[in-house]
Amino acid sequence: MPATAQEGPDHIGYFDVQSVSSSLVDGVHELDSRIQIVLSDEALEALNSGVVLRIEFNIEIIRVRRFILDSLDAELFISHELEYRPLSQRYIVNNINSSDQDSFATLYSALNHLGRIQRLPIIDDSIFESDKTYRARLRARLSTKQYPALLQALFFWRDQWQLESDWVEWILER
Amino acid sequence: MDTRAIKKLAYMTLGAAGIGLAITALFLLSRTAQNSEDFDRLHIVILLINTAGIVVLFALLVANLARLLREYRTHVLGSKLKARMVGMSATLAVVPLLVVFYFSMQFINRGIDTWFNVEVEKGLDDALALSRTVLELEMQDHLKTTTKIAENLRETNATQLVFELSTLRQESGASEISVFGNNKQIMATSSDFAADYMPQVPTDEVLLQIRQNKPFISLDPLEHGNYQIRTAVVFGNRSRPEALRIIQAKFPVTEKISRMANSVDSSYSEYKRLLYLREPLKRTFILTLTIVLLLSLLASVYGAFVLSRRLVAPIQDLVEGTIAVAKGDFDTRLPSPTRDEIGFLVSSFNDMTENLSKAQRQASLSQAQVEAERTNLEVILARLSTGVIAFESDLRIRLANQASGSILNVELENRAGEYLSNIASDHPLLEQFIDAAQTHLNAGETEWREQIVLRGEVGRRVLTCACTTLPGDEDHIPGFVVVFDDITALLQAQRDSAWGEVARRLAHEIKNPLTPIQLSAERLRRKYIKTMSDQEVQVLDRATHTIVEQVEAMKDMVNAFSEYARAPNIDISTFNLYKLAHEVVDLYRTQESDIEIVLNTDLMLPNIEADIGRVRQMLHNLIRNSIEALENSDYKGRIEIRISKSKIQETEVIEIVVQDNGPGFKTVSMSQVFDPYVTTKPKGTGLGLAIVKKLVEEHAGSIEAENLDDNGAMIRIKLPVNEIAREAMMVMLSGRREKLGGQA
Repeated sequence: MPATAQEGPDHIGYFDVQSVSSSLVDGVHELDSRIQIVLSDEALEALNSGVVLRIEFNIEIIRVRRFILDSLDAELFISHELEYRPLSQRYIVNNINSSDQDSFATLYSALNHLGRIQRLPIIDDSIFESDKTYRARLRARLSTKQYPALLQALFFWRDQWQLESDWVEWILER
Repeated sequence: MDTRAIKKLAYMTLGAAGIGLAITALFLLSRTAQNSEDFDRLHIVILLINTAGIVVLFALLVANLARLLREYRTHVLGSKLKARMVGMSATLAVVPLLVVFYFSMQFINRGIDTWFNVEVEKGLDDALALSRTVLELEMQDHLKTTTKIAENLRETNATQLVFELSTLRQESGASEISVFGNNKQIMATSSDFAADYMPQVPTDEVLLQIRQNKPFISLDPLEHGNYQIRTAVVFGNRSRPEALRIIQAKFPVTEKISRMANSVDSSYSEYKRLLYLREPLKRTFILTLTIVLLLSLLASVYGAFVLSRRLVAPIQDLVEGTIAVAKGDFDTRLPSPTRDEIGFLVSSFNDMTENLSKAQRQASLSQAQVEAERTNLEVILARLSTGVIAFESDLRIRLANQASGSILNVELENRAGEYLSNIASDHPLLEQFIDAAQTHLNAGETEWREQIVLRGEVGRRVLTCACTTLPGDEDHIPGFVVVFDDITALLQAQRDSAWGEVARRLAHEIKNPLTPIQLSAERLRRKYIKTMSDQEVQVLDRATHTIVEQVEAMKDMVNAFSEYARAPNIDISTFNLYKLAHEVVDLYRTQESDIEIVLNTDLMLPNIEADIGRVRQMLHNLIRNSIEALENSDYKGRIEIRISKSKIQETEVIEIVVQDNGPGFKTVSMSQVFDPYVTTKPKGTGLGLAIVKKLVEEHAGSIEAENLDDNGAMIRIKLPVNEIAREAMMVMLSGRREKLGGQA
């Protein structure tokens, strides 16, 4: 059985980047993060009704500059699609970037899987200037861009569809 | 730049912004209608633009409405028409829009609802359940197979495990079978995939199930709509957890079943998704439709405002221009017209005002000419000694000159518009004048000439009148104009002249034989008195005495005529009238008489420049006239003489009033009081007052006679005190005098 919205007041849901770190492995910066994803009632109802949810991780690499504004040097989007398949009664998580697909018996398992980023290569250190400092930041959000415009317009005004974590920053160790 | 221009600029800017937004929105709508990707990308922008357009149009409408209300309340010209046009245009635009909106709403609601059907939903549910049942059976079969494989491998050692596993996999039809140790390490694997294929380690979900001593089974959707059944069971010695093994197998679902299962799954999901999106879709469509409606509605109403303003503007100009023309401003020109019917109307109005302006200028010119002529006429009339009265048929005065008032002894010059009959009630001369005129007018005579005699307290006045019709005009009804002259003085002068001639002839013809008659009578008496008897002597003596007395009487009479007829030879000197009056009065007071003579003179009486002899004679004649009037009266006679300073129109005169309590003048003779040989007394020559009048006129003075209310008569003489006053008096009387001279 699919997960259902809880009784009582509406749950607006939230995305929270609980931990984030990166490490330089063989000249490549790899990301580890733990993100808690709690869907709102409306998003959950949509998911159970066959609507595919897209969850994006937005990673920005920013070059720190001393006297002027910092420069956004690179931007990376990791997108996953989450859907419920009524026949198999399983939640499917598709990694848009890698085309990997996983299925889960519970929404919790699916979201837990989604929220766990392990050793994700984000950028090659060789493209960085050696004497510069770079910082990175991560944000997770529920995207509605894939929906028809009419729905986008409708979701635009709904708080329960505006799920987005704060930016969490860290310095890229080199 | 004034406030009005700034407001206009603001309105134009807002209007341009609104129109720009509307055009942009339409353009985007047009583009997005052809390209759904553009539509998706720009939809929010389009909505925002349309919303902004609605806000701008709404602001414009509120501003226009407020302005219209303000104009309506302050009764600005054209505001009612504009309000009516806006109302009609807005109604014509709004009603169809609302109808379309209502049916569109119905269409959207019902159209979307028709996508969903309870039977379809139930069919899909059943199909899904059936598919699940079919797959469940297959899954259970595969789980049994996996369990059997696990039992077969229970006693297999590690070296044989790979070979055994491969054999079992081929027998079971699994695509992949892997054996994992307790710590998820791969102990053996067999699959259809390439040799370097790494088998998927058991997920947490699998491990959790296994740890609960339950076999794991799942139907995993794969890419391209395929399915696989994944099973996992644990085997080995459960008393030694480190010796436990997990076998995980993957069985492909046949392509046919996968395709059908996928079809059921996709259809069910799609249906559920549509069901879920039904309300949001409705709301979205309704929102879009509402925005379009609002945009169209506001644009239509605003268009109604703009249209009505444009249509009413020239009409407003026309109304304002008409009011200006009604107020007499013919220089009003309306703005350059368009080429439609209203433009033709405006052009015609401009032509009309131009023509009116020309006509007004012409009329002003004509009026100025008429005014000039009128002024000239007034000047001429004012200078005329002839009286002119123009009046309408109802006797309302249209025009009267100063001379008319002087002649009729009533002020008429400034009484235009008043009725002669009303004025005449207190003025007998005017009353008689009107009676005489009405006699002709009532008889239907519009052109007449007559000499009429008016009788007043101070005597009669003879007028020669000529009347003619006067055409009416815009302000007046037809009337008459009467031109008249006072010929009283002329007639008097003629009479005086005749009497002077008589006097001269009498003096010449009668006086000469009187002396021989007297001498002859005395000679007869002397010659025959000696030869006659006493009786005859008495007769002769009485006869000759009578002849001599009568001749003397005739001489006195002839002398009196000579005095009346003598040529004027005034000897002007300055003397004190007070003293002279006392001397004269004292002469009569010394005579034995019962008549009381009272002299009242002003103590501040100035000296007078006059002929002292003539003034003395005036006083003598006046006093004698009164004494003669009082003789034989059976009551005590009284004569009062008052001499005082007075003024006639700023001209200094000395007024001499002699009044008595005698029988007065006979009314019938009032007009002839100053004529020679007119007397009501038993004695008297009838020349006394005639001579007084002659003397007064020689001094440029005036004389009036009237009867007192209680018995008695009064003579009032006004003599100018000096030469200046005399000249002024002569100017006052010039008209009549000059005329007299001219006519004489």
